Amino acid sequence: MADIIILGAGIAGHTAASYLHKYLGRQHSITVVTPNRYYHWIPSNIWVGVGQMSVDQVRFELKPLYDKWGILFVQAKAEDFYPEGDASRERGFVRVRYTAGEQQGETADLEYDFLINATGPKLNFEATPGLVPGRGNLASVCSYTHAAEAWELLQTKLERMAAGERQTFVIGTGHPMATCQGAAFEYILNVSFEIRRRGLDKMADMIWLTNEYELGDFGMGGAFIKKGGYISNTKLFTESYFVERNISWIKRAGVKLVTPSEIHYETLDGEMHTQAYDFAMLIPGFSGHGFKAYDKQGADITDRLFAANGFMKVDADYSDKPYEEWRIDDWPQTYQNQAYPEIFAPGISFAPPHPISKPMKSKNGTPIFASPPRTGMPSGVMGKVTAQNVAEWVKAGKPVLRHRASMGKMGAACIVSAGFGMTQGTAATMTVSPIVPDWEKYPEWGRNINDTVGEPGLAGHWMKWFMHYMFLYKAKGRPLWWLIPE
Amino acid sequence: MSRNYSKYSEQYYPPTPTAKTLFWRRFLPFQAWRFLVLNWRIIKIVVRGHS
Repeated sequence: MADIIILGAGIAGHTAASYLHKYLGRQHSITVVTPNRYYHWIPSNIWVGVGQMSVDQVRFELKPLYDKWGILFVQAKAEDFYPEGDASRERGFVRVRYTAGEQQGETADLEYDFLINATGPKLNFEATPGLVPGRGNLASVCSYTHAAEAWELLQTKLERMAAGERQTFVIGTGHPMATCQGAAFEYILNVSFEIRRRGLDKMADMIWLTNEYELGDFGMGGAFIKKGGYISNTKLFTESYFVERNISWIKRAGVKLVTPSEIHYETLDGEMHTQAYDFAMLIPGFSGHGFKAYDKQGADITDRLFAANGFMKVDADYSDKPYEEWRIDDWPQTYQNQAYPEIFAPGISFAPPHPISKPMKSKNGTPIFASPPRTGMPSGVMGKVTAQNVAEWVKAGKPVLRHRASMGKMGAACIVSAGFGMTQGTAATMTVSPIVPDWEKYPEWGRNINDTVGEPGLAGHWMKWFMHYMFLYKAKGRPLWWLIPE
Repeated sequence: MSRNYSKYSEQYYPPTPTAKTLFWRRFLPFQAWRFLVLNWRIIKIVVRGHS
């Protein structure tokens, strides 16, 4: 019987757990370790942040589902990795610290045959001085509690505008190398929608603040898209969306400091600027969780498992290459650690070989560009192929690794909500294929131009609404859940 | 949309949708059709994305 431990129960971790249960049943031991007792459909946080959904609509408790499936649920957070075991143990183990229950605060060592690290990112708010969600006029939508707090703060601003007080909203990225621009993009569009719906748009100054070189970069170097009989691009697409809503923008900006009323940022030209705000929602930088790893003798081997940014090294090409030499083959396909092949890291947990957007530095040497996104659909796909490979390995008794999902080959769909409502809502449906441009296969546009499109409209809102319920249905393991694609 | 433009200036302006475009974005029968098309497009991308 194999012992499989999954660290994290987000989109990648929970998807891996679900498929491992489907492929292996109860014949093998599956353990999920997560500090949170809920599964959380993160893409709908945007709607929590504007009061259109409650926290309980975007989450559910994991333990009852895992009990039903025979998966051991451990509410704890991982701390240290011992992939070779130690002096008294032959098998690898991971040291975890309980975050709830009678054992809260205590540690335990969980031995494994296979380890899936799907711990996602650490929301590195500390990397930007003063960026503390919930403090003063600062909000976040990175977790459901943050999103609920954002809605409370937003309501106070709506009341002030209704009372005749002009308000400045600044939404975007809060670190020079932040990623997840899509979430901030959705949030500013939804906040704008809610303000206009109340007839308060003349009382609001809306500002998009971003580390992107051009709007529509989204950490994937932007994209050419087929739209309205033209090959256009995501820059025009995004700018058009903002102009339509009277949202102004500041680009190429790396936020360095946030005070209760001002955002201090540096631009690529090396100039320092200040932007006053009454409400700000800035996405923090992401990093790994600072895990440590030790060999059998107790020597520190963290650099064999983790890259400098704290994310786990996998089957990517981490050699230092100039931008012009980046290839899609640099990107991992199986998310398997090369030093310890029984360890995998799907989702945001894996260390990308390099960015997708062209790295930029200001005159002062500050890197200011968007880091690569790995959220949502790609995370689910990576979680599934990891489960497939581990399950086949367990059954065959040897590694097969038939299943692959490279970001240089997989496409992604992103539904950018721009307002909630079954007849008045709207969203931009964006698809790219592949996520990482492949200039060798698609020399003209970098991607398959027939599959890389952007389409605004009510249908996009229906899509996002439909996906909310469909993916929660799937995550809850309801009948035929596995027929729903990631 | 004219509020976004400065007269007699030589600035760059992004495209803005016409009233007709905005109508199609909300016209229920057309959007129902686009809903089906977008679903089909995304399923194709997902299926092709991993082997």
